[in-house]
Amino acid sequence: MGALLTSLLPGGDRPLILPATGAAAVGGDPFDSGMWPLHREAYLGKEARWSNDPAIAVLAPKAAENSAHVPFLIDATALPGRVDEILVTVDYSPFAHAMTFRPGRALPFLGFAVKYEVAGALRASARIGQDWHVGAAWVSALGGGCSAPSVAHARPDWQLGFGEMRARIWPETGRLRVNIRHPQDTGLADGVAAHFLTELFLLDADGAEIAALDLFEPLEENPSLTFLLPQDLARGEVTIRARDNLGNGFRGKVSGAEGAP
Amino acid sequence: MSPISLHRRDALVGMAAAALTPTTAGLSTFGLGATFAPVPARAKTRRYDLRPVEVAAGVWMIEGAREVFAPANGGAIVNIVLLETRQGAVVIDTGSTLGMGAEIRAFADDRLGGVATVVNTHHHPDHWFGNGAFADRQIVALPQTAAACAQYGQDFAASLYAILGPWMSGTSPLPASGTTEAGEARIGGRALRLLALSGHTQADLAILDQDSGTLIAGDLLFLDRAPSLPDADYGIWLKALDRLAQLQPSGTVPGHGGFHRSSAALAQTRAYLEATRARLTQAADLGLAPIEAMSAGPAPAFAALGANPEEYLRSVIHRWADHETEALPLVGGL
Repeated sequence: MGALLTSLLPGGDRPLILPATGAAAVGGDPFDSGMWPLHREAYLGKEARWSNDPAIAVLAPKAAENSAHVPFLIDATALPGRVDEILVTVDYSPFAHAMTFRPGRALPFLGFAVKYEVAGALRASARIGQDWHVGAAWVSALGGGCSAPSVAHARPDWQLGFGEMRARIWPETGRLRVNIRHPQDTGLADGVAAHFLTELFLLDADGAEIAALDLFEPLEENPSLTFLLPQDLARGEVTIRARDNLGNGFRGKVSGAEGAP
Repeated sequence: MSPISLHRRDALVGMAAAALTPTTAGLSTFGLGATFAPVPARAKTRRYDLRPVEVAAGVWMIEGAREVFAPANGGAIVNIVLLETRQGAVVIDTGSTLGMGAEIRAFADDRLGGVATVVNTHHHPDHWFGNGAFADRQIVALPQTAAACAQYGQDFAASLYAILGPWMSGTSPLPASGTTEAGEARIGGRALRLLALSGHTQADLAILDQDSGTLIAGDLLFLDRAPSLPDADYGIWLKALDRLAQLQPSGTVPGHGGFHRSSAALAQTRAYLEATRARLTQAADLGLAPIEAMSAGPAPAFAALGANPEEYLRSVIHRWADHETEALPLVGGL
């Protein structure tokens, strides 16, 4: 858990939110029932070798204060070996597959928020070679996150600021945070077409890929993402490129170099 | 800052885990050898046993628990004030449920000669979900409050039924039918000064009872209970506190917390807003993800306030975007 910055705030050395393991991480279901066995088969593969692994930490609030924005943080930096990809699924969501993160040259660490339709577990399955290491967090939610229209949709001027990208690198900690103004409509609300981000890439100064994200409907409106970069990359220039399902492209550039704005 | 942001996806509380998780505690009665007690055909009527206290001449206060909504408190977490007049009571806020409103009404009918009028200070449901017990009386609020009650009433009801369960029996949202505005009012011989402010929500009514000099502050003031920030605008709220500071009341009833004759709630609410704003600004500026800011908990000086850390956790969810926009520079777009 060395990658967390919670203790930078006064009093933050006694964190309120700790990663759960075992039954507590998935709502106390001892029978491996519900959607997870199906998701495992569909997304990890029928014969996939998997195990619940406390080394992959998933942080989440116990209860969703706002089902449209439920924040998570996945920290797989304690896993032994190079993580090829992290697949994020939500047990009870009309869109089970929330995202796939290929950390590449970034660390296997990702912060994001999703919409929640009903209480349940979010699972992070990290693949190292042929083995899946699974962490989870269970969130109580009243629901409606996926089936309600975006807040932006109700505004006649929603296109103002659409696609705006804000980002910053903290070279001393390796953090990169990015926020994109996007309605992230799922298509489930009456008369509102699906409109959401489908991919995001981090590229280095030479245009080579650092990390990649496949994104799906559950990602929150105006999403913010948190990445962790190794020292060399965090002190250089990073281009962020994203695309949505309607073909819009988004682009921005940040730098962690000394003297950079 | 965002407009009123609560909608049906909001749970109102950092709570719901406890309220929504089924437990098996009640089942032990049916173990081997247990004697079966007669099971009542209907749930026992829940009563709040509200205890109005006369805090100043003709000013009756019912003090709420310094907690968030929970099954154990039935939503009796808010302060209610009844002002005695020759035409009956001016009822300021009506509580979280029909049952709570009915107990307030019964006190006004039995002891204060009935109800002259009902005032809702703002649109948060603990302040007006008891309106149903006053359906035959005039109920007024600021125009934006009445509109927000109409807009969000059903969503609040869904959340509160999920949290409070049977306490909510019979409750349905009844927004104020009439509007009021800033200025002087005289009701049943009692002189009131109404102040139309905002900051806690988009419309917050504070009332100065001229006869006793008591300020009924609504949720612009909290004492020993963490302020609730989901619809807050720090800057506007702080300006509203400046206005309240000029009133020099003889005593103050905050929206949550005890009656007092000092400026304690004013000072504490101001300090809490400033400290929480500074904490979240610092968190965003250090590159924390929102879940890390939540995990760090409230500013240590305010960690022990009633309703914390729940209120702080809600604050991070609802206010984070404001702080993040400040911390992250614009780097690109379409």
